[in-house]
Amino acid sequence: MSTKDFIIEQLKTEISGFKAEISEKSVGRVLKISDGIALVSGLSEAMMSEILTFKTAHGDVAGVALNLEENLVGAIILGEFTAIKEGDEVLATKRILEVPVGEAMVGRVVNPLGEPIDGKGKIEASKFYPVEKIAPGVITRASVNQPVQTGIKSIDAMIPIGRGQRELIIGDRQLGKTAIAIDTIINQKGQNMKCVYVAIGQKESKVAGIVAKLEEAGAMAYTTIVLAGASSPASLLYIAPYAGCAMAEYFLDKGEDVLIVYDDLSKHAVSYREISLLLRRPPGREAYPGDVFYLHSRLLERACKLNADFGGGSITALPIIETQAGDLSAYIPTNVISITDGQIFLEPELFYKGNRPAVNAGLSVSRVGSSAQIKAMKKVAGKMRLEAAQYRELAGFAQFGSDLDEDTRRKLERGQRLYEIFKQDQYQPLSVAKQVLIYWSLLGGHLDNVPVEDIRKFEEGLYKYADTNNEVLKLIAEKKELSEEIEAKMKSLVEDYKGTVDYLLK
Amino acid sequence: MKISPKQYARGLYDSLLGKSDSEVKEVLHTFVSILGRDRVLSREKEITAAFVEIWNSENGEMAASITSAHELAGDSREAVVSYLKNRTGAKSVILTENVDKNLLGGFVLKYESKVLDGSLKTNLADLKASMEK
Repeated sequence: MSTKDFIIEQLKTEISGFKAEISEKSVGRVLKISDGIALVSGLSEAMMSEILTFKTAHGDVAGVALNLEENLVGAIILGEFTAIKEGDEVLATKRILEVPVGEAMVGRVVNPLGEPIDGKGKIEASKFYPVEKIAPGVITRASVNQPVQTGIKSIDAMIPIGRGQRELIIGDRQLGKTAIAIDTIINQKGQNMKCVYVAIGQKESKVAGIVAKLEEAGAMAYTTIVLAGASSPASLLYIAPYAGCAMAEYFLDKGEDVLIVYDDLSKHAVSYREISLLLRRPPGREAYPGDVFYLHSRLLERACKLNADFGGGSITALPIIETQAGDLSAYIPTNVISITDGQIFLEPELFYKGNRPAVNAGLSVSRVGSSAQIKAMKKVAGKMRLEAAQYRELAGFAQFGSDLDEDTRRKLERGQRLYEIFKQDQYQPLSVAKQVLIYWSLLGGHLDNVPVEDIRKFEEGLYKYADTNNEVLKLIAEKKELSEEIEAKMKSLVEDYKGTVDYLLK
Repeated sequence: MKISPKQYARGLYDSLLGKSDSEVKEVLHTFVSILGRDRVLSREKEITAAFVEIWNSENGEMAASITSAHELAGDSREAVVSYLKNRTGAKSVILTENVDKNLLGGFVLKYESKVLDGSLKTNLADLKASMEK
């Protein structure tokens, strides 16, 4: 049927049906362009964070209006700004900056504009969410009541995180901040959680490694990665966390639980400082602009736990801050510490002593998470926190003399074993039932005759033994509390296993 | 405090209101000496532009430019002017006309920061884009 005549006939009807539409467009001109920032004249009706289209000789380039002045609009350019020249035409699109969201984003690596950069083809998203959104209000919220299992022993016990909480991970470079976040993502398998990992100013090689690791662990099945690499312009770094949050909000609105990691917000603040200074906003402390607090507070307020009337979904945020030489009192760290519901503080001393993850149990807190712990964990964690604090206090003395009384010696021995248990390898998250088992064994004194240097070997063996005698772990996971029956079963399990090893102290 | 060119122009306009020709000369003389005192004579261009803008908006005058493929006939010029008057509420319109054969047909009207693009060239580009979809 598709002969030449037919095609021409169709073409004719199409063309006669084509209505030339004239619509008024708001147009401005580029007055000045430098370092990814453009000053545009005209555009009197431009909105805040509206998408602007720069018409260049090499095609269109998108930008975002950020400064609305009397006769000027200051815009950041998202993408290749070298093609833009002075005098180029700029069109206002009447659209606020938005990103594609939806199920299609899961398992993908995208840039902050939602475009795929993993080479797996186009993303067919039907929905778009605005990048900037006001956080849910008081009426819609509920208090945190469900745990996020990070799978990291020291964190789940001492610094528990609840769904909807914002827990800061803070520490110097190379202490394993990202490792904690990635382990947490890996541990969300089967926990009914979607994850978003936002890499801000990270090395692309590092992100490639993370993607490979997540794929290997099967975690990409529920994870989206938003990447604004170190070579991206500051404008993309600036919008990346908001774009990631918009993608998370899609699942929140569906009543699902989402975990979002911002890695890291210090680089985000630096990129915002760059933009602000180029836009000639007045600098303040450490040359950051005056609204750098609002920059992070409006982002982290979007993490929330909604109540049942509003779907009951949650966004748990794990922002990461990199400190310089452990300086917690710098501007950005203090800001973010005050915004979040607690922090996990990593310490170089612990790290180099071999206590990894190097979580400083004294300076780390979780302000709301304990209400979300399961009962079984709460029971062991309370006692354990006390043991840890007493050990830290005594450990200082212990270096001086060996003439210690019985009680002190016992506490030191217990503490050494506890810190041995805190040690955990990367990419090996542990189920909450196993964590309860090991902590319970320690606090019940069942590990007192295991030599300190063999604790980890013992631990590993115990888990294997428990896996084959699955009953206890299953019971803890189901009941979520420690009944006398379960305690009796744990006791017999530990004693049975101790019967099989030959390195116990007499 | 620094005074913007717009503020100079506004001041000049306000002080000229209701003045006779001879008074105007005097006011201008004072104005220029003030500019000299403030050392802003070099910004004369910006001040003049701002003054024209204020004058136009106060007197309901509006500048617009139209580019068409062929020279405008009288009645279409009338139509454009009355369209602009309706649209913006201006009392009179100063229309500058250009001819650009590259547009092929139709016209491009520019006023304030708006563009009304009804040229055949743009329409053909749109047609091409919609067919490629």
